[in-house]
Amino acid sequence: MRHALKSLALAVVAALALSACSKQEAPPAPAAAAPAPVAAKEPCTLNVFIWSEYMDPEIIKAFEQKYSCKVTIDLYEDNESMIAKLQGGGTSLYDIVVPGNYVVAAMVKLDLLAPLRKENIPNLKNLDDKFVSPAYDRDNKYTAAYQWGTVGIYTRKKPGQAVDETWGLLFDPKAKPGAFLMMDSIREMMGSALKYKGYSVNTTDQKQLKEAADLLAAAKKRSQGFEGGVGGKNKVLAKAVKAAVVYNGDAVKGTKDDPETYYFVPREGGVIWVDNLAIPSKAPHRETAEKFIDFILDPKVGAQLSDFNQYATPNKAARALVNADDGKNPAIYPPPEMMAKLEFVEDLGEQNRLFDEIWTMVKSK
Amino acid sequence: MRKLSWPLWLTSGLLYVFLYAPIVVVIVYSFNSARHGGPWRGFTWQWYATLLDNQDKLAAARNTLVLGGLSTLVSTLLGTGLGYGLSRYQFPGKRFFSFLMYIPVVIPDIVMAVAMLMFYSQVRQWLGFLELGMTTMVLAHVTFQIPFVAIVVRSRMVGMDQSIEEAAHDLGATSLQTFLHVTLPLILPAVVAGGMLAFTLSLDDFVVSFFTTGPGASTLPILIYASVKRGITPDINALSSVIILISVIGTVLPMLLQRPAKHRGDT
Repeated sequence: MRHALKSLALAVVAALALSACSKQEAPPAPAAAAPAPVAAKEPCTLNVFIWSEYMDPEIIKAFEQKYSCKVTIDLYEDNESMIAKLQGGGTSLYDIVVPGNYVVAAMVKLDLLAPLRKENIPNLKNLDDKFVSPAYDRDNKYTAAYQWGTVGIYTRKKPGQAVDETWGLLFDPKAKPGAFLMMDSIREMMGSALKYKGYSVNTTDQKQLKEAADLLAAAKKRSQGFEGGVGGKNKVLAKAVKAAVVYNGDAVKGTKDDPETYYFVPREGGVIWVDNLAIPSKAPHRETAEKFIDFILDPKVGAQLSDFNQYATPNKAARALVNADDGKNPAIYPPPEMMAKLEFVEDLGEQNRLFDEIWTMVKSK
Repeated sequence: MRKLSWPLWLTSGLLYVFLYAPIVVVIVYSFNSARHGGPWRGFTWQWYATLLDNQDKLAAARNTLVLGGLSTLVSTLLGTGLGYGLSRYQFPGKRFFSFLMYIPVVIPDIVMAVAMLMFYSQVRQWLGFLELGMTTMVLAHVTFQIPFVAIVVRSRMVGMDQSIEEAAHDLGATSLQTFLHVTLPLILPAVVAGGMLAFTLSLDDFVVSFFTTGPGASTLPILIYASVKRGITPDINALSSVIILISVIGTVLPMLLQRPAKHRGDT
C-alpha cells in the first residue's frame, strides 16, 4: 500500500526492467528460482528491508536473542523504490522485503521473489482464511501476510451529532463536510469513488472508470487537494481540515491523541490492503529469513506486532491475543458485514495504465 | 558605507524569516511532547533522551558522517588536482575533459543514481565485487563531488597571478615545491570551500545514496525520507536540531579560527 505512483520511480523501474532484459541473455541466472545456496557457516545475519515504523524493535531483539542472530533493518518508503532497488541487485542483499499486495504479482513476474519453502514455516497454518491463498498470490507461494488494513475517512465528531458514514462526504457536492483532504494514492481514491458508485475497485470497464474519474476530478475542486500518508491525519488533528482520507492505522494512532476524532470506512465499502513478508530471489540468508517469517507468524509475536502497529493482524491465532481495546476497535477489525464489502486492490497488469492515465488527468485538472 | 533604507530592511528581514522559520519550527517541535506530531502538547527533553537509545538513528548518523568525511577527503584531493590540471596544463582533449566535468553537475540525481546502480550490478555480475554498501556509496558520492571541488578550485586559479608561480620556478623551485609552497597556500580557501561544498552535498544527498547503499549502511537522509510518509517521529526533529547545531558550530568555528591564522601568516 501507501502507493505513491511517482513517475520518477516508475521511470527507474522501467529503466531497470530494460537493463534486466538485456542482461538475461548473457549469463544464465540459475539461482533465481532454484533453492538458493545454503548460507555457509558464518555468524547468523538477516537483512530486512521494510517500511519505517513498521516493526517493533522488541520483536527484533527477541529474534536476535532466540537465534543469536544479527538483524539489520533498512527502510524504504514506497513499493516502487523497493522494487527498483531489488532490480538493481538488491535481490542478493536483502533477506526479507514487505511488498504490498498489489505489487506481488509484478514482482513474481520480474523474478524478484523466492518461493517460500513451506516445510520451514510451520506457522503458516496460523494465517486467517482470508489470507490463505489470496488472489494476488495463490497458495501463498511467495508471500505470507504481515499486516492489513482499510482506507477510510478520518474526521472530527460534533458532539451529539452522528456522522453520515458515506463516501458521499467527498463525492456528493451537496454534502458539506468542511475542508477535506484526499489521499495522494491512485488506487485508494479510485477505489473509494468506484465503491461509492457501487462498482468493483478492480473494474476495467471504461464507462465505470470514467464516472469515478469525474467524481474524483469534481471532488478535487472542492477539496484542499491530496496528501500522502500521515499528512491527512496530522491536519485533522491540527484542525487544519475537517476530514481526510487516511489509512486506518494512522487514524487509530490519531484517535489516541485526540479522542474527539473518529475513523470509519463508509458504508459502501472500500479498499483493503495487505502488506506481505517475502524473500528476495537471491537472498543471502534464505533459511534465516524463513525462520524470521515463522517467528513473526507465531501467535504471541503476531499479537505484539499488531499492538505496536495498530494495524490488524492476519494471524488467526494471534487475533485473540491482541490488546483487548484494539481487538474490539472496529477501525482496526471491521465487523463481518463490512468485511464482506471490502475488496483487495489487484494488480491489473496492462490495465494499470488506465488508472495511471486517470490519475494524471485528475491531478492536472 | 551607506545605510540600509527601510524597505530594504523590511524585505531582507522577511526573507530571513522565510528562510529560517522552518528551521526554528523543527527545533521548537523537537521539544514537543506530542508523540505523533501535530499540535503542541507541552515541553519535553524526552526525544533527546530517546535519541541516545536509538541504535538505528545513531548508526545512520554515524554512517552519514563517515560517508561525508571519506568522500569529501577523496573528492577534495582529486578535485583539487583536476582543477589545477585544467587551468595550468595543456593536453590533448582538454576541452573535452572540461566538458565532461560539468556532466555530474547538471545531470539529474535520479539519472545518476540509476546509472550507478546499473553500473555496480554489471560489475558485480562480471567481476564479482562491488557489493552495494558503504564502499559503493562513497564511490558514488566522490563522483558527483569532484566537479564541484574542481570548479571552485579552477575559478580561484584563474584569478591568481601566474607570475608568482613563474617567479618560484625562476628561483629554482621544482613543480612540486611550487605547488606545495606557493600555489596550494594561495588556493587553500578555494580548496576548503570546495571541500565544504562537497561535504554539504554528501550530507544532503538522498537519491544517489538510496540507490547505492546496502544493508546496514542507511544514512540520515534515507532514514528521514523513509519516515516522512509514516509521520516524522519527534526524535527525528531532535536529531535534526543536533545536526543544525553542529553545522552552525562547524561554520562559525573556522571563521573564528581564521583571524589568528592570518597573523601567524607566512609559513
